Amino acid sequence: MKLYAYCLAADLDTLGDSPPGISGAPVRLLKIDDLAVLVSHAEIDAVPVTRNNALAHAAVVRSVLDQTTPLPFRFGSLVTEQQLRSYISNRKPALEKKLAHVRGCVEMSVKIIWQLPEDGNNQLQEIPVAEPQGAGATFLADKRRQLLGDERRAAQAAEIAAWLSETVSDLTRDEQVTVRSSERLVLSAAHLVERAQLRHYREKIGEARENRPELHFLTSGPWPPYSFANIELEFKTQFGVS
Amino acid sequence: MTFSPENPLSAEPEIETSHAEEFVEQLRCVTDTLPSRINIDAQSVEQGLAKLVLTLIEFIRRLLEKQAVRRMEGGDLSPEQIEELGLALMRLEGKLQELKSQFGLTDEDLNLDLGPIGRLI
Repeated sequence: MKLYAYCLAADLDTLGDSPPGISGAPVRLLKIDDLAVLVSHAEIDAVPVTRNNALAHAAVVRSVLDQTTPLPFRFGSLVTEQQLRSYISNRKPALEKKLAHVRGCVEMSVKIIWQLPEDGNNQLQEIPVAEPQGAGATFLADKRRQLLGDERRAAQAAEIAAWLSETVSDLTRDEQVTVRSSERLVLSAAHLVERAQLRHYREKIGEARENRPELHFLTSGPWPPYSFANIELEFKTQFGVS
Repeated sequence: MTFSPENPLSAEPEIETSHAEEFVEQLRCVTDTLPSRINIDAQSVEQGLAKLVLTLIEFIRRLLEKQAVRRMEGGDLSPEQIEELGLALMRLEGKLQELKSQFGLTDEDLNLDLGPIGRLI
């Protein structure tokens, strides 16, 4: 019989009212050594990637966040109890290190949209070209203009990332930042924030939002630390593709 | 570990923005690029292979363009050489466009998401 694994946690001895798991299955706590894994029985060989299943996985992981900071398993992790026990026994030091890294923290998310800056037309310098300028030289001049624009955008995007990082650096334990200077959604950041610092963190983000009105913010959280602790089971996990 | 009832974490996660429609549109663009299912048949395998090969060619083509622009900026090239190099790169770009349309691929199809380090091109 297979188990669907949701998350791993320390400091968790009992499970309160947990929401139903994948396919409505009841969720239970499986103790392995001094760690706990939230699991439910699975009668299926693969978990279809559906909205309901994704929400069920997230709701179960979220349900213990008030008590502890769990390490979420990757969506779709189906295992036998023996595989799970063996995995945890063999990887215990690494898992404990990951748990220590996220202990007492939650994940906060910041996404930023900007107005894409124009290409660098006004920065185009004189280029030595044949007179009269042929199609080839014109083509390269256009490419140069595009490259200048790309470089300028990359520099501006990097400045935004550095500014945001600096703004909250005293309040975050870790961060994962993705910068895409060629897109309107220029930055996606996940911050690992200690629970005690959450109020200050929100204040800082609020100030940041006011200081840069040209940037459009979307902030969300608290979430379980998906970006910092997603456990990749090394034995076969199956993703349903239906 | 127990948290007090006053702990703000007892509340549901909050989502805060003054630009909801803009974010919905942008996030929808991201999810639209993810395939909802994987089809394995002769035609899609051929297209997948073409996509992979053309992505690599496109990546190299862009590197060549950058190198050419750098050399042009550095004053290494005579006007005639600039013209010749520009024409060669222009034809290469045209040929790649032809191949893309032959396999029903767009510019965005030739871009790989490399996760935290960004996109390939």
